[in-house]
Amino acid sequence: MNSVFDFKDTVDIAWCPGCGNFSILKALKLAINELNIAQDKLVMVSGIGQAAKTPQYIRANFFNGLHGRSLPAATGIKASNPELTVIAVSGDGCTYGEGGNHFIHTIRRNPDITNIVHNNMVYGLTKGQASPTSERGFKTPVQVTGVYLEPFNPMAVAVSLNASFVARAYAADIEQTKEIIKKAVNNRGYSLVDIFQPCVSFNKINTYQWYKENTYYLDNNHDPYDREKAMHLAFENNRFPLGIFYINNTNKTFEENLPAYKDNKLPLFQRSNIRKKIKEFLD
Amino acid sequence: MNKEFMSGNHSFGEAAIRAGCKHYFGYPITPQNELGEYMSEHLPKAGGVFLQSESETAAINMVEGASAVGARVMTSSSSPGISLKQEGISYLAGLELPAVIVNVMRGGPGLGDISAAQGDYFQATRGGGHGDYRTPVYAPASVQEIADLTYKAFDTADKYRTPVMVLSDGLIGQMKEPVVFPKKIEKLPEKEWALRGMGSGPSRLMASFHIDPAVIERHNWKLFRKYQEIEKNETMYETYMTDDADIIAIAYGCTARIAKGAIKRVRKDGIKAGLIRPITLWPFPSQIIKDTASKIKKYIVFEMSTGQMLDDVLLAVEGRIKVQFHGRPGGAIPTPAEFARIIYREYQLESKS
Repeated sequence: MNSVFDFKDTVDIAWCPGCGNFSILKALKLAINELNIAQDKLVMVSGIGQAAKTPQYIRANFFNGLHGRSLPAATGIKASNPELTVIAVSGDGCTYGEGGNHFIHTIRRNPDITNIVHNNMVYGLTKGQASPTSERGFKTPVQVTGVYLEPFNPMAVAVSLNASFVARAYAADIEQTKEIIKKAVNNRGYSLVDIFQPCVSFNKINTYQWYKENTYYLDNNHDPYDREKAMHLAFENNRFPLGIFYINNTNKTFEENLPAYKDNKLPLFQRSNIRKKIKEFLD
Repeated sequence: MNKEFMSGNHSFGEAAIRAGCKHYFGYPITPQNELGEYMSEHLPKAGGVFLQSESETAAINMVEGASAVGARVMTSSSSPGISLKQEGISYLAGLELPAVIVNVMRGGPGLGDISAAQGDYFQATRGGGHGDYRTPVYAPASVQEIADLTYKAFDTADKYRTPVMVLSDGLIGQMKEPVVFPKKIEKLPEKEWALRGMGSGPSRLMASFHIDPAVIERHNWKLFRKYQEIEKNETMYETYMTDDADIIAIAYGCTARIAKGAIKRVRKDGIKAGLIRPITLWPFPSQIIKDTASKIKKYIVFEMSTGQMLDDVLLAVEGRIKVQFHGRPGGAIPTPAEFARIIYREYQLESKS
C-alpha cells in the first residue's frame, strides 16, 4: 500500500506486536485514501491512550489534545474551518471515561466529524486497568476482585441521543472496517465508529478468538433508519452486531446552525474583508 | 519494625493505610499507577475503599465527599491529572477540608512526557487553583521520606483542616529502597465539624459560596491566620555540610539527592560546599537561607525545571549575595557529575573575584 498518507521512511510504531491497532490504522489509511480526501483538507485529532497514537502514523495534519478532550478540540477545528474533514481517533477510556461528558454533548451538538473509538475494553497505555467498557468480572492489577460496574454501552448512548451515524466494526476485519469508516466520513454529522480491538497484552478475555465467536455482521435486512431496531441491536450482548446500526440525517449539523456560515461557507480566517467590515460597523 | 524493600509509589500507599486512610480515589496515569494498584489490593484488606474513577475531576470531588464526613482520604495523580484536580483542591481549601493529594511529577507543560520532573513547583506552592489559599507541600527525597511525610501529611491535614500535597516525582516514585514504616495509627482525631447525619444537634452546612463579600473576606483572613500558624510550626528542611560551607546548593526532592552526590565529590577536592534541602516547599524554609546568606559567598539552586523554587530563594536572599541557577526541565535527569561541574565552575569564579 502506497498512498499520500504514508510516510516516506519507515515509522517506528509504539504498539505491541499483534495489537489490533495495526489493522485499524491500515483500514483508516485505506479509507481516507480511497475517499480521495485532499491532504490539505484533512485534520486528525486524538486524545491520550494507545489508540490516540494512531494519527502519528498517518502523514496528515494532526492535533494531539489532552486525555478525554479530542471531541471538544475537533469541534473547535470544525467551528473555525467547516471545510475540513475532521477525524477524531481515541480509545474507550479516553472517549467514554475521561471524555464521557464531551461524548454525550458532542453527539447532541452534531458537528460534521467522524469519531473513531478503538474499543479494547482496557487501559493499554497505563498498563491494564479496567476501562468503561470492560465486562463485569474482568480482573486487572487494580480491579483485583473483578469489575463490578455496568459496562458503558456507547452504541445505546449514541442511538438514544439520536446521533447522526452509529456503527461498530471489528479491527481484524480490515476490509469491512474500511468500508464502515468510509461511510462514516461521508456521512453529514457526528459519526461514531466504535471498533472492537483486541489488546494482546492486557486483555486476555476479549481476544481475537473471542471476537470471532461473539460478533456477527448485520445483513441487508437491517434498516439503519429504524431507531428502535438500532436500540435493540445496541442492547444485544449475546453476540455483538457489527455494521451500521443507525443513521439519522434529519438534524442540522453544528456548523449549519452557525450564523457565520449561513450565507458564506468560507472559513472565517479566509474572509479578508472582515476587519474592514468590523471597522466600518464600529465607525 | 521490619525493614522492607519497596518502591516509592507502593510506599505512599502503605504509609497512607498506616495513617488511617480509609478512602482512595484515583484515575490511571503514568508514572504513578503502582500507587493505585497497591491501594486496590491493600486498602480493602484494611477495611477501606478503593475506587477507580472515570476522571481525575471525579476523584477529587469524591475526596471532598469522603473528607466532609470525616474520613482520612487520599487521591494521587501525575502532573496533567493534578491540573485537573485544582478546582477541587481550591474547594477543599475553601471548605477547610483535610485531604492528602499525591503528585508524582512528570515532564510538562501540557502532556510533556512520563519522565521525572519538577515543573509543578509553582502550581503546588502558589495554590494551583483559584482564590487566596495555600497548600502545605511536602517534598520527599527518598522512599523512606515518602513513608514518613505521607504519614505526617494526614496529621497536618487534620490538624489544620487543609488539603496537603505530597510532591514527588517519577524517579522516587518508581525507585525501590529500604523503608521502615511508621506504626499503624490507633486513634484518629475527633472531627466535630464532620457531616455525619444531623441527629438532635444543629444542622451543618458545607458550602464555600456566600453572596456577601464581607463574609468571604472574613473567611479569607481566617484562612490567612491559619496559614501563618502553619508557616510558624510546620516548616521543615535538612542541612548537609553547611557549617563551614563557602557555597551552598539549594535543591529539593530527587534533585537534592543528586546535589548531595555532587557535594561529596567536590568535598574530596577540598571545596567547601553544602546543601540546604527544603522538605516543606510551602511553607518555604526562608529563615535558614536568610541565616546562612551572611556566612557564604554564593547559593546554587538546582532544579529539574527552568527555575521555580529559585523565586522563593531569591525572595529569601533579598539580593544580599549571588544566586546561581542550574536546571534541567522537561523530564531530563541530571547527574552528580553534572552538578559537580557546576559547583567547581562557580567555586573557581568566586575564587577569582
